[in-house]
Amino acid sequence: MKWYYISPFIVFFVVLLVQISIIPLLSISGIIPDLILITLVYYSISRNQLYGTVLGASYGLLIDLITGNLLGSSMLAKTIAGFAAGYFSGETKKDINTSTYNFSFIVLMCAMINDVVFSFFSAFDIQTNMVTLLFEQALIPSLYTAVVSVLFIFSPFRRRKI
Amino acid sequence: MFRFISKVWARFKEYFVLVILILFSLIILSQNQNQNVQKLRAIAFGSFASVTSLLTDLFSVTNLKRENEELRRTNAKLMMQISKLRSYGIVNSELKSLLELKDTSSLPFIPSTVVSRSLSMTQNTITLNAGSNDNVLPGMPVINDQGLIGIIHSVSDDYSIARTINNVDFKLTVMDERSRVNGILKWTGEELVIINIPFTFDVEIGDRIVSSEISSIVPIPIPVGIVSEFKAGESGVFSYIKVKPFVDLTPIENVFILAQVRSKQIDDLELNFYRRNK
Repeated sequence: MKWYYISPFIVFFVVLLVQISIIPLLSISGIIPDLILITLVYYSISRNQLYGTVLGASYGLLIDLITGNLLGSSMLAKTIAGFAAGYFSGETKKDINTSTYNFSFIVLMCAMINDVVFSFFSAFDIQTNMVTLLFEQALIPSLYTAVVSVLFIFSPFRRRKI
Repeated sequence: MFRFISKVWARFKEYFVLVILILFSLIILSQNQNQNVQKLRAIAFGSFASVTSLLTDLFSVTNLKRENEELRRTNAKLMMQISKLRSYGIVNSELKSLLELKDTSSLPFIPSTVVSRSLSMTQNTITLNAGSNDNVLPGMPVINDQGLIGIIHSVSDDYSIARTINNVDFKLTVMDERSRVNGILKWTGEELVIINIPFTFDVEIGDRIVSSEISSIVPIPIPVGIVSEFKAGESGVFSYIKVKPFVDLTPIENVFILAQVRSKQIDDLELNFYRRNK
């Protein structure tokens, strides 16, 4: 039972290590995939919505503390993203939603929510063009994250119970 | 009553938890400048950075050869510039002594390596392996041989976080090196722009932008970038000036923190947020 709650945090620190030290090498014009979000979506679908929401808040708070973001911005974004991903959980749906391309579409949707909320709270001002904000800071990074999540579907790690 | 509450909780618990966590996030958002929050952040990133630095060291070994070549090339260029500047320096010191100006040419540098980076489009930060034990303080500029990279934001004992020029919270007074026009440099989330300069002021495409001497954060001229676009803003009164930065933030590894010591009298007079919170 303890493992049920501890394992997402062990996975988080490993993924965060990769996210901030290796993933920047894969950046395209400063845009990088969000591996933490992929991990969050996976846990939220494979467990339940409540778990995903709380896990999203915990992941977001830790990211804010460690990376020097505006404290609370990632927490808010990932809480809502974890909650949204939780709609795709359930005994009958979770296997289909984590092992098929559905997973990438769910990641795309959650990444959009995450990026829009994050950009809105961290970068929005009166002169910001909303269309540009949605396109450059939400849609493009979300697409990149969704593309990378395809690798996760075929990953051997996913087939094990994390 | 208890049964009713437990029934409502069982049915809507996800929504209750969501609302509570959103409210909690908003409260935290409003507490960013709180001293206790800053201390907690320093402990968190300091602990994690010590792990990340091991991984970074491993990767940097593979880049050493390429970096060595790059440094040799830079060294050769600098040697040529130094010989030219040396003759200017002699004339300059003579003129300064005639005018009785204070010498500001010797600046202390703290060498540092980028341990990790957060490449967010809006909140771009880097973690450096130099902290308060190396006399690093919030507000110190981070530079490399090409120009300004950012400003130190948070400091722990052995590590520090710098907000780069690609961070929406980074704002700096800069000036056009040719015409000496001053403006505020900021990152919009998409591009680096200078605001608050009237359209009639003398700015041209290709002008070099350096940090302004009137800046309360970086009071010495450090190269920032060049003007790549200049047109009238939406109001027609102020101009829209796009700046192409000299420094490419993606491959940076080794940087210097400028441990500048400012006059206490100036600090007391000016509104400097970084030093005011000390």
